Amino acid sequence: MTATRIDRGSTESTTIYSDGADLVFERTFDAPRENVWKAFTDPQIVPRWWGPHGTTTTVAEMDVRPGGKWRYVSGAADRDDVTFYGEYLEIDPPRAFKWTFMFDVEGMGPQGGPETHTFEDVGRRTKVKSVGHMGSVEALEGALATGMAGGAIETWDRLEALLAEG
Amino acid sequence: MQIQPDELSTTFAALADPTRRAILARLAEGEATVTELAAPFDMSLPGISKHLKVLQRAGLIEQGRQAQWRPCRLKPERLRDVADWLGQYRRHWEESFERLDAYLQDLQDTQRPGKGDER
Repeated sequence: MTATRIDRGSTESTTIYSDGADLVFERTFDAPRENVWKAFTDPQIVPRWWGPHGTTTTVAEMDVRPGGKWRYVSGAADRDDVTFYGEYLEIDPPRAFKWTFMFDVEGMGPQGGPETHTFEDVGRRTKVKSVGHMGSVEALEGALATGMAGGAIETWDRLEALLAEG
Repeated sequence: MQIQPDELSTTFAALADPTRRAILARLAEGEATVTELAAPFDMSLPGISKHLKVLQRAGLIEQGRQAQWRPCRLKPERLRDVADWLGQYRRHWEESFERLDAYLQDLQDTQRPGKGDER
């Protein structure tokens, strides 16, 4: 299991690695597990933290039980609203839940897939582990090889601008 | 995230090969012929052509029509899609976690003095 574990740019507070075809984010919060669980599963609390900085999240639908649907609308000043949605697959409070995490990309249709969140006591703190299941090692490797080569992407940007000029 | 069988997954599969990534890197500097692309590799022209077909099917490159001189050109849009997608996913969880951390701290500060509503 640990043999395939490769660091993917962990930060000071968040451990990010791939394990086979999974992309994993781990962070330990200084809070009891009950609070952390609620933050993920209570529609009143989700809008207070969900989404990157500078975004707002509106919970449009959130039926936290197996087969229940969820839908969050993410707003930001510099783009149109993006809707994230999916279905709860497994719920095991306050230990774990699995859902599908989907969003539509223009011209490409729905993207995303299953994601598992687990919550574990670490003394009086809580470790959250979010695992995105990428489907295949090839998909993950390909995506990471491209997405994380920052310099290369800038090159693509410049090239694109150049091509646009004709 | 499991990628649904669609264009993006074809792209991911095409990118999973180091030779094909090297070809893309070369094309980022400008268009090139198949012979020029084959030069750095210990590989036959048909071998390189196979890789180019995969890249073409994945929407990552395009090839000119002329019979003799068929320069390959990068199509950066698709690569941007892939990079954007993964970058956004990473950023989504990293920054959400930061905000969650701040929220939980606030919550604990308000719970600590009262402590009455703890279950």
